[in-house]
Amino acid sequence: MRLKLYKFKGPFILLSVVSIISFSCGPDTETKVDDGNKIDSNKTTIIGINGELFSIPSPIQTALMIKKSGANYSKEMLNPTSKATSYSTNFQKALNLGIYGADLGYVTIYDQTQDAVSYLNAVRKLADDLGISGAFSPALIERFQKNLGIQDSLLGLVSVAYRASDAYLKNNERNDISGLVLAGGWIESLNFATAVYKQKPNEDVKRRIAEQKSSLTSLIKLLTPYYSQPEYTEVIDNLKDMATVFEGVEFKYSYEKPSVDPDKQTTTVNSKSEIKITDQQINSITEKITTIRNQIAG
Amino acid sequence: MKKGLIKLLFVVCGFVFSNSANAQCDTIANACARHLTAQFISDGQQYRALLLNPEETAEFHATFYGGTTYRIAACSGLSDGNLVFTVYDSERNPLFTNADYKNAPYWDFKIVSTLDCIIEARLKGENQGSGCAVILIGFKQ
Repeated sequence: MRLKLYKFKGPFILLSVVSIISFSCGPDTETKVDDGNKIDSNKTTIIGINGELFSIPSPIQTALMIKKSGANYSKEMLNPTSKATSYSTNFQKALNLGIYGADLGYVTIYDQTQDAVSYLNAVRKLADDLGISGAFSPALIERFQKNLGIQDSLLGLVSVAYRASDAYLKNNERNDISGLVLAGGWIESLNFATAVYKQKPNEDVKRRIAEQKSSLTSLIKLLTPYYSQPEYTEVIDNLKDMATVFEGVEFKYSYEKPSVDPDKQTTTVNSKSEIKITDQQINSITEKITTIRNQIAG
Repeated sequence: MKKGLIKLLFVVCGFVFSNSANAQCDTIANACARHLTAQFISDGQQYRALLLNPEETAEFHATFYGGTTYRIAACSGLSDGNLVFTVYDSERNPLFTNADYKNAPYWDFKIVSTLDCIIEARLKGENQGSGCAVILIGFKQ
C-alpha cells in the first residue's frame, strides 16, 4: 500500500474520533515501535492520509545561485520592510511571510547586516500576527544578532526557524497557511531570478528559471485544495496561467547509474538532464511573476 | 443530552489523539534534526507521515538542483535505523536505498544535473506497530 505523506487536517481528526470511539473502550493493546515511541496498534487503523506532499525548493538556494552568478546586491528587488504593517488578512500575511523570508535569505547571503535585522523584524512581526511567534522567538532574534556577519550561522538559524513554523502550522491544521508561506518564498525567489536575468542574462540563472517547472506544478497542487476561497482563486489562476508558459519548457532526462561511497555515506547521482527555455518564454514568465509578486506584496 | 455528550467525547478524544500524534512526531523530528549538521541548510520544511505497519509506504516528490549536495535524514522513533527510505528518479529508477546500508539514518546525495525525485519511506520490517516517519532535507552548495 502506498500512502502520501500526510498533513494533520480535519478528516484526520474525524477519523481519529471514529476510531477512538470504535476501539478506545476495548482492551489496551499497545505495540512498542521502539524506545519511547508507543502507539496503540488498534487505533492506528484510523489514520487518514490526506493530500499529497511536495517539497518546494528553499528560496535560499536560488539566492545563493544568484550571488554565485556575479549579480550585484539589489535592494530594489526586495519587498520594503515598511509594508509589513500594511498586511491585514492572514492570507496576505502568510504570503508575505514567505516573501520576507526569501528577502531575509537574500540580504544575509549578500552580508547586508543592517538590512538583515530589518527583514528579521518584518518576519517576526508577521509570524507574531499569524500566531507562530514561537518559531521566531526573542532567543532566536538574539542569536541572530550575535551571529551577524557569520553567513552560514544566520542561514542555518533562518531555515530552522522556517522549518519550525512549517511544523507548527501543520500540527495545528493550518496547512493552508503553511502552503502560502512556501508559495510566497517560491514566488519571491523566481522574482529574484527573473529580475537578475533581465538586468544581466546569465546561463545559470536562465537554467534555474527553467528548473522551476516542476516546483510550480507542485505549488499549484499544494494550493488547489483552497481554490474555492476567494483570496486563493486569483493567485492560483495566475500561477496556472504561468504554468501554461512552463509547459513549453523542454526537460530531457537520461538515467545513469549512481555511484556510492559508503564510507562517506554519499551517493553521486550521475543522471543527466537538459533543459531548454526560449527568450520569449523567459520574458513571458518574467512578466507574469512580476504581476503576481506585486499583487501579493502590494 | 446523551447525543451532546457523545459529540463532546468525539471532539475531546479526537483532540487528544491528534495532539498525541503531533507531539510524538515533534519529538522524533527534534531528534532527527541532529543529523542535519551545521554545514547543511534546512529546506525549511518538515515531512512526516504516520505509518500503520511496515507494508505501508509514504512518499513525496522533490526537485534536486544540479551542483548541490543534499542530505536526507529519515527517522522514526528515538533511535536510528527504524525507517527505510528509498530515492527514485521520476522514471522510478532506484537511485538509493538505506536498506543496503543498515538503514542509515541519513545519507548525502551529490546531484550532477537537476532532477525530480520521489522519496519513499516505510518502517523497518521487524517493527509490528505503527510509527511517525519524519524526513528532513538539507543542502549545501
